[in-house]
Amino acid sequence: MELVKNIILTAFTSIIIENTIFSRALGTSTLILVAKSRKNLFGFGLSVTYITAIVSIITYFVGKIFDLNGDAYIYVPLVYIFILGSVYILTLLCLWRFAPPLFLKIRKYVHISAFNCAVLGAMFIISKYCVTFIDYLVHGIGIGLGFVLAVYMTAVVYDKIYSEKAPYAFRGYPLMMIYLGILGMAFWGFSGHMMNY
Amino acid sequence: MDKDRDIVKENSCKTIIYNAMLKKNPMLASGMVIAPVIMTVDSLPRALTLAASFSLITFFTLLISSFVPKSIVYTVRIIMYAFIGAMVYVPASIALEYFIPEQIERMGIFFPLLIINSFVIYRSESIFFLESKGKMMLDIFFCILGYDAAVLLYGIIREIIGSGTAWETIIGMPVIFSVFAEPFGGFLLLGIMAALLRVVLLTIKRVKQK
Repeated sequence: MELVKNIILTAFTSIIIENTIFSRALGTSTLILVAKSRKNLFGFGLSVTYITAIVSIITYFVGKIFDLNGDAYIYVPLVYIFILGSVYILTLLCLWRFAPPLFLKIRKYVHISAFNCAVLGAMFIISKYCVTFIDYLVHGIGIGLGFVLAVYMTAVVYDKIYSEKAPYAFRGYPLMMIYLGILGMAFWGFSGHMMNY
Repeated sequence: MDKDRDIVKENSCKTIIYNAMLKKNPMLASGMVIAPVIMTVDSLPRALTLAASFSLITFFTLLISSFVPKSIVYTVRIIMYAFIGAMVYVPASIALEYFIPEQIERMGIFFPLLIINSFVIYRSESIFFLESKGKMMLDIFFCILGYDAAVLLYGIIREIIGSGTAWETIIGMPVIFSVFAEPFGGFLLLGIMAALLRVVLLTIKRVKQK
């Protein structure tokens, strides 16, 4: 029961309270690119969550085998890029061999879902704050899902943000930043901040 | 891709500079590398730290990556760019930690995350590597300069209105909007600054037409 409670709390924290976009702005550039098309949103979300989950598991074992603290910390990005690159290549190879139609469908955006700040940031965050294997896994999946939630919430209003009705100065990117800021403010409330009266 | 290539060929040096600094400013118009800006730049010293680390890592990563042969498939090329970024990070980290250790430590995970910034992953293939070497260097240089200028401006404004300080010294602002020091305030300020840039560009256009 305690384990289930911990899993739910960790998942809630990583998806909502510490949402990768609204609380850390990780992967905002990718979000701007991806929110354009609602057609590939599900596939993109699935591939980001899959990659964050797999790299979290590998990061856990790499952290157990190698000591990446002390002077070795400057080589951590090299190790993480090696892990990310390996997962990316192996996934594409498996899809190409066993599911060619899916491979053709996702190859356009799979590099965006693998090489972005949200995924690499997830590796840094979980290795810093997580201890147990379950923590790593749930946090990894949660960060992916949190990113997807943010992308979906942006894609929903994308047409309105780029609408001719919006003032020219704010149309598109400026309005998107303001929208993310307002959402960020709402999500910020989840972490229990109180106003000082 | 072909369309991009045609645009790139047509670009004169003057256009490259104007686009990089204003019209297509990487931070204020294109929304590139904004996570470290929103999360770490809340004062001028921190803006300078980000500008220095971003310039160092991005310039050398793109320079070395431009020698990666096009005959290698895109899937592998993209990993190679990220790997080159991680290798450039090692000496860059040593050098910056020697000169500004505290500021670099305060950047936290956003310092190593610069290795896979949008310049390296997206813009390299779609714009930079389609140009001739000379033009590419000029474009990269001015894009980085445009980004740095925007970061510094953002840092100054955020520090003054969010903390009431300048270079971390109290300047006695009558009103302080501390919300701008928070991440969501960072988004809001960036949105307002991007809109102001549009107004400036529109004014320039109207003046030219007159």
